[in-house]
Amino acid sequence: MSETVMLEIRHYSKSYGGGKKAADDVSLTVMGGDIYGFIGHNGAGKSTTIRAVVGVLDFTEGDIFIDGHSVKTEPMACKRVTAYIPDNPDLYENLTGIQYLNFIADVFGIGAAERETSIRQYADQFEITADLGGLIGAYSHGMKQKLAIISALIHHPRLLVLDEPFVGLDPKASFTLKEIMHELCRQGTAVFFSTHVLDVAEKLCNKVAIIKHGKIIASGAMEELTAGHSLEETFLEADGDET
Amino acid sequence: MKHSILLLKTLLRSTSARNIYRYTTDRKKRRRIVGGTVGVVCLYAMVMAYSVAMCMGYGSAGLIDAAPALCALTVSALALLFTFLKTNGYLFNFKEYDMLMSLPFEAKTVALCKFLYMYVKSLPWYLSVSLAMLIGYGIFARPAAYVYPLWVALSFFLPVIPMLVSAFLGFLIARVSAGFRKTNLIQTLLTFLFVLFCFSLRFIIEALFRDDKVEATLKTVSAMTDSAAGIYLPAKWFSDAVTMRAPLDALLLIGVSALLFAAVFQVVGSSYRNINSALKSHAAAKRYQMTAQKQRSVTAAIAFKEWKRLTGSTAYMVNGAMGEVLAVLLGVATLLVGFDRIVAIVTQNAPFDAAILQPAIPFIVYFLVGMMATTACSPSLEGKNYWIVQSLPIGAKTLYQGKMLFNMMLSVPAMAISTLCLCVSAKVPALDTLLYLLLGLALCAFSTAWGCVCGVRHMRLDWENEIEVIKQGAGVAIYLLPNMFVVMGLTVLAVVLGLRMDHRLLTLAFAAVAAALAALSYRRVIILSTR
Repeated sequence: MSETVMLEIRHYSKSYGGGKKAADDVSLTVMGGDIYGFIGHNGAGKSTTIRAVVGVLDFTEGDIFIDGHSVKTEPMACKRVTAYIPDNPDLYENLTGIQYLNFIADVFGIGAAERETSIRQYADQFEITADLGGLIGAYSHGMKQKLAIISALIHHPRLLVLDEPFVGLDPKASFTLKEIMHELCRQGTAVFFSTHVLDVAEKLCNKVAIIKHGKIIASGAMEELTAGHSLEETFLEADGDET
Repeated sequence: MKHSILLLKTLLRSTSARNIYRYTTDRKKRRRIVGGTVGVVCLYAMVMAYSVAMCMGYGSAGLIDAAPALCALTVSALALLFTFLKTNGYLFNFKEYDMLMSLPFEAKTVALCKFLYMYVKSLPWYLSVSLAMLIGYGIFARPAAYVYPLWVALSFFLPVIPMLVSAFLGFLIARVSAGFRKTNLIQTLLTFLFVLFCFSLRFIIEALFRDDKVEATLKTVSAMTDSAAGIYLPAKWFSDAVTMRAPLDALLLIGVSALLFAAVFQVVGSSYRNINSALKSHAAAKRYQMTAQKQRSVTAAIAFKEWKRLTGSTAYMVNGAMGEVLAVLLGVATLLVGFDRIVAIVTQNAPFDAAILQPAIPFIVYFLVGMMATTACSPSLEGKNYWIVQSLPIGAKTLYQGKMLFNMMLSVPAMAISTLCLCVSAKVPALDTLLYLLLGLALCAFSTAWGCVCGVRHMRLDWENEIEVIKQGAGVAIYLLPNMFVVMGLTVLAVVLGLRMDHRLLTLAFAAVAAALAALSYRRVIILSTR
């Protein structure tokens, strides 16, 4: 694990109409090389926090730093090192897969040879190479998810943010993604992802945060947090204590 | 700049029919693209023919000098209104917002590219009007050779200023609405108010002139065009540039367009993310308490779903219900001001008895109520959610019947209120009023069923942005334009025949034809539902 702080969320809060807080004083730190799991019930505030991290959602309270840059004041510096995969990727349905990947590669200024190597590598790993010439609109949900993952990986991000990345992926693709996450982690990339699948989080993550009603109710290194119990037991216990 | 070009190119490619045609393996889809292209070419031909005819009308009346100003005003008015109706869907509330904003694009770049996308997509329509009028102008005025390239070049800039004004107003409305809990409702209300303001602008300008005692100068259409161009400077710059060989005016049009473009996107970019965040966030619902529930019939349930779909989208609401709102407002205004007075305002005190317009009342009302049938776009609006109705134990016939029921529920009350108000104000006898209501009902039924035929035949589920099917869909275009021109013709026909025939007999004849056409269209919908 590297010593670089890749993501730091400091006292971030987000209110919607009616004054209800979707995120309330959320603070956490993700180091380079961490695989950080973000778990909680439906509507707990996971996606709201993630969308603020990647610069999609505006917020007023607190601040979020990516690689030392504030999302509020230096959004471009943050976005250049971040990749985001939403839970339900809305891609351009009338582009072909390869056209979409080229668009992302162009945005990040990836050279022709380098992009060809990356696209070939990841597309082969996810077994989607043969489908890249087809329109995205004709893809299944899983194929769209794979394409979104490839588009996130081809520009070698230093922070990978994923919202429920395993939903819709077949078992082999899930395995491939986990392997890639481990590989990125070894290279010093930080991975921050939300999930409902506690087994996956337990096996994959070295750190975890539990969010409930917009508040972090437990966070830290996996071993310290679970203290010999399963993550499921820890989650239910923390959930019950809060209730 | 590099990023803007890249994003604009991708946005255009992502909705390009050519790209779909090239890469799709679905033959049906390819056929639909070819059919849609042919339909759009026909519509361009209609718009161009209408524009040439308008210009030739000016030429025949010896008023050809006013044609450049007329062209500039027509293009500007179209650009102002159509951009305003599209801004909400294009600049805000688009579904790939998360994806774009998570990429290293500045908020300003995204907003700017979305605007440029809107400009490139609508430019062919504005050019078709402008170039058609250049043909008419060329025939009558025989201008110097330089006029042709100058007219063409400046035509690219003509829609820019009104489009920027509309986009900025849409931005202001979105910004104001973003501060409210019921964002969507406030946005819809403000949008309605602005569109109503646009429709009444002509009368406001006339009232201003009347106050200045210059009514006399507006006696000819030519003078009115010149006066309007005097108020709207870009039209004057265009007109002077092409008729008076004034390079400064041409430079002013280009320069002011560029400056305004830069200024608008400096402001919009600064709070673009903030506004989209507010628009995409939904207020936390109050804790729901289970209450007694109601059972509806299947068609009523579909109609209710359609109602929620309409009221859930500002773009759909403004485009789908504008005619009904205008019809009711016209009715109420007529009741308050008087039928004769309204006719005098609309016809600028033309010397004729307003009573001769009585047989045309159902068509005047239908012109507004039938302006848009929700059935022309609602099949396409199912979009990605089409699986919901497909997986339910209901046939396509029931689905379309539900959609038609909803359009009738929307249009018939508006038609009835408007017709009754107009009839009361115009002192139409009771039996005639009843017949007008009958004709109105038949026209609403025709509009609903014919709209459904267009909507089903040109159903497109793979849209990126709902505005693509609400405002630019083939179903809507094929319904809307011919319907509008035919109703204008029928209004004139009703007046002309009304001078020679018994009004009641005439209305009954029209009602019978409309009912027959409605029945035929309904039958067509049923046949289409079995395919």
